[in-house]
Amino acid sequence: MIVAGIDIGGKNVHVVILKDGALAAQGAAATGIQKAEAAERLYEETLRKAGLKRGEVGRVVATGSAGKRVAFADACIADAAADARGVHRLFPSARTVIDIGAEEGRAIKISPEGKVLDFAINEKCAAGTGTFVEAMAIALEISVEEMAAISLKSNTSIPMNAQCAVFGESEVVSLIHQNVEKQDIAKAVHDAIAGRIASVARIVGLEKDIAVIGGMAKNDGFIDSLRKEMAMDIIVPNDPDFVGALGAAEAAAKGVLEEKIAAKVVGQEIVEGEKTS
Amino acid sequence: MAKYKTKGLDCWKRAKELRNRYYKDYKESPSRGGLRWEGGAWSFDAIPQALEGEVHGLSEEPYGASIAHNPELQVRYQEAAEGKWGCARDLCSYMRAYWGSVALNEYAYGGPWPHADFIFQNQICCCHSKWLQVADEIDGGTTPYFCFDVGVGPYDKIGDRQIEYVVAQLYDGIAFIERVTGRKIIEEKLIQNVYNTYRSNCYWAKTCELNQAIPAPLDEKTMFSLYVLGSLEKSNQAIADFYEKELYPEVKDRVANKIAAVADERCRVLGDSQPPWGFLRIYRYLEQYGIVSVANLYTFSLIGWMKVDEKGHLVPYPTLEEQGITIKDRDHALRLLVEGELKGKLMWAPFYGANYKNDLVTKIAKQWRCDAAIIHLNRGCEGTAQHQMQLKIALQEMGVPVMTFEGNMADEREFDEGRVLRLIELFVTETLGLKKVA
Amino acid sequence: MIEEFKQWYDDRHSYAKEWKKNNLDGKVVGYFCTYVPEEILYAANCLPVRIIGGHEPPTLATPHMFDMWCPFSRDCLSQGLAGNYDYLDGIMIAQCCLHARQAFGAWQLQVPTPWSYYVCMPNAVTTSHAKKFLLGELAEFKKAVEAWVGKKITDADLDRGIDIMNTNRHLMKKVYESRKEDNPPLTGTEAMTLVWASQLMDKREHNVLVEELLRDLPNRELDREPGIRLMIVGSENDDRPFMELVESIGATFVIDDHCTGSRYFWDEIATTGDRLQAIADRYCDRVPCPTKDFQQETWERKRFPHILTLAKEYRVQGVILVQQKFCDPHECDIPSLKRYLEGNEIPCYVLEFEVTVPVGQFRIRIEAFIEQLRADELFD
Repeated sequence: MIVAGIDIGGKNVHVVILKDGALAAQGAAATGIQKAEAAERLYEETLRKAGLKRGEVGRVVATGSAGKRVAFADACIADAAADARGVHRLFPSARTVIDIGAEEGRAIKISPEGKVLDFAINEKCAAGTGTFVEAMAIALEISVEEMAAISLKSNTSIPMNAQCAVFGESEVVSLIHQNVEKQDIAKAVHDAIAGRIASVARIVGLEKDIAVIGGMAKNDGFIDSLRKEMAMDIIVPNDPDFVGALGAAEAAAKGVLEEKIAAKVVGQEIVEGEKTS
Repeated sequence: MAKYKTKGLDCWKRAKELRNRYYKDYKESPSRGGLRWEGGAWSFDAIPQALEGEVHGLSEEPYGASIAHNPELQVRYQEAAEGKWGCARDLCSYMRAYWGSVALNEYAYGGPWPHADFIFQNQICCCHSKWLQVADEIDGGTTPYFCFDVGVGPYDKIGDRQIEYVVAQLYDGIAFIERVTGRKIIEEKLIQNVYNTYRSNCYWAKTCELNQAIPAPLDEKTMFSLYVLGSLEKSNQAIADFYEKELYPEVKDRVANKIAAVADERCRVLGDSQPPWGFLRIYRYLEQYGIVSVANLYTFSLIGWMKVDEKGHLVPYPTLEEQGITIKDRDHALRLLVEGELKGKLMWAPFYGANYKNDLVTKIAKQWRCDAAIIHLNRGCEGTAQHQMQLKIALQEMGVPVMTFEGNMADEREFDEGRVLRLIELFVTETLGLKKVA
Repeated sequence: MIEEFKQWYDDRHSYAKEWKKNNLDGKVVGYFCTYVPEEILYAANCLPVRIIGGHEPPTLATPHMFDMWCPFSRDCLSQGLAGNYDYLDGIMIAQCCLHARQAFGAWQLQVPTPWSYYVCMPNAVTTSHAKKFLLGELAEFKKAVEAWVGKKITDADLDRGIDIMNTNRHLMKKVYESRKEDNPPLTGTEAMTLVWASQLMDKREHNVLVEELLRDLPNRELDREPGIRLMIVGSENDDRPFMELVESIGATFVIDDHCTGSRYFWDEIATTGDRLQAIADRYCDRVPCPTKDFQQETWERKRFPHILTLAKEYRVQGVILVQQKFCDPHECDIPSLKRYLEGNEIPCYVLEFEVTVPVGQFRIRIEAFIEQLRADELFD
């Protein structure tokens, strides 16, 4: 069976095509303002890469903050659910998933079956996302890749605000004006975000194995800071930014559709007039 | 076919009439030679309402909440508080809406800001005393202000000493009111008001208790429109009668006949704190999955009085009639009023520790047979949002799945509806494993 | 000598641990608010230490207190969760703001501490009823402490406790008095460092060093221009980098109203009559925290005229109003206080604080404020 997963976030769209469970092709692109069109274009492009036609795809599942805009998707699942399925496919031993994208960071506790048990997201006034790092890289006049690399060279520890993105940016500007070394500022930014993300992850509890996905997982400097902040090992998959789309494709493969059927509450039977709990 | 029968409340229209009349009366009172006073939902309205002649109060929190139902008005008023007055944006959102209303000289129910003859407020949190202190200042500083303290300890530590402290302040309050109005507090009125206060609080609690039934006769969205009457004027005869003689019997009847609030009830959730008032449609969203919100310490205890019985269960506080008490005189009335509020209003217990909140809410989760909890981390109210994260841990430890979402009860700028719906959908479909009802 | 106070502040945990070793009968009690009656703790041979933050992002606190609580209270909890206060024998709070109460409540559940106590410090502090109520609270608190430490607290013990606290208050007021001079012999940062240290160490030791400092002060000359005379007003503030920044760009903090400043020690206990009543009276009559600053009959605050008096006595040219993010009590007061002071021709500037602050950006703003005040000076 051929299925596709489309993860359309605040900044980027990712597509994964599976054929009989194996990866056939994947693609990524910036969404821009016209998100639905961007998803459509990338989907076509990835199909071409896989040598497939549209009609050959049995099922498409979308996810991400703009997932519902993918008109041609058969279903849409919550991004955390997609993350859980994607990580479970790659690392069945994972019990905690941390996903940091351009606009949101979240922590997910997953069951041995890859279901979402609990979740937490970085809420308002939080400098804990990829967009913040990009803004800081601009302030430092370097690329994000450079920022990741140089931060690994720093041994200093400068406490920085990461609850409020505005405050955080102000502090970076202050540090620049104080002629603090770029590598130390880069590390301070990564440490601050790591602290923020770890605090969100602690809400769901840090149970290993811990997998970190999303665009920020490609930032070695941040990953180093996160590892130290949590004092735990973490697993980072190859192509961590594709895991959401992979999870959506997994969901497509397992036949998850949004249907209107009655269901019962997991773990409990409702008997009229009585409760077992 | 739906699982249960359902229908609207017969007394709904009456509730609306009572509520609308309240705000109209406040506005029109002076034209009839009546007085006006400002206070809070927790003010002991039995006292000012015992003044001779006509008198009406404006209860600050419900006023703030009613502004929140109109996001355009809410933003305009709050921007006035933040811009014109200059306050911080993270303060209690009801309070900012109220201050903005005063600063703009507008009454949300039409016309200019209706100046009060006096302020009669109580202090339980950081803001209550300051709320009307600042409102008075914004309004020119000419309204006589009185605030009494009820921060004397949790319900299980209330004794004579605590009651005496509050009663002593109330005597000062009575002297103050009489002095600034030139009118007397009538003992018979006060006594009747205290009976009514007990009836309002106890019968609301009894009504909430009925929601332990399966199916739940009421959903929380409906309950918000019903508790508000008590938060406006619990000492009012018509409101006490409504709770005792209309609402409670009707809900009892619904339980006996298995009339549900949500026809396809299959999952009962527990809430905490106020909801985001401008977005009550999230309850309708939940109903698509057969989810009904049945219980919330805030919804029960904002006005309802409860107690923990010898078996450790939460039960309604007894009325004076049920206790076999006849009020003898003014002093007896005041002591009974204070005792009821301090021992019965369990919403005040969390002010004294997370252990109290955890204990009470886990009891609610058990007794009201809740399958899950959806906690609104309410940035708009530090009082009701206390210990919510600790509560999450306690509920999860007893096996109740919990989700949280940040929002604001009365500031739509702080509520991301799209994001919250995504989180709710995740929780409902993934963690709870529910699908939409056909 | 100021360096020694700074050392005690910096090494507060080592200090408390050392105190425990040297006072095997004593217990160390962490407290959350300056309404805590330390007199009774000293009477019971306890060391009261104020729990303060570490000026680090409170990443451990989030699962227990979500982000809209004041950063200071979350920082305090985070310090506890990190094990930095593992030497405490007990914690306590006097009823105050909801933020501190949150931190205390979460601490009770999450940070293993053998003993905890909540004193219902009343809010209607201007009433005689509050004094009577607090007397009852203190009597119960005293009994609880006696049961905990296993020893009765005698009148002589209470006298000792009152004397320790009163002496410290008296000495600190004398130090602050010296700041009225044209060229104060200590900076605002130094003065606040003395107060911070007093909250973190045995006041008997603190008293000795303050007395020594008082002997030196007449001869102490700072090698700096005092510049513009400023007052700083707020809640808790131990932000040394900020204080130092301001005092490096042409200003001196000559006075403050903080609970880590003058508000902590300003009012002494009148030692007549019943001791517990005297303590109760002091805590009700002291310069109030905004949570307790409301009076019957009027919307006006008790604290504002006090701040104005200080501003006049210390010839303050401008006031910096420090607002901890999310701090309700002060946020309620600040617009009114600003109007009040500006109505009395004292310019104000409001700054919002977090556990870490953007020193560079604040520098620009304070420089502008100082410029404005200097311009006012030119036209005086």
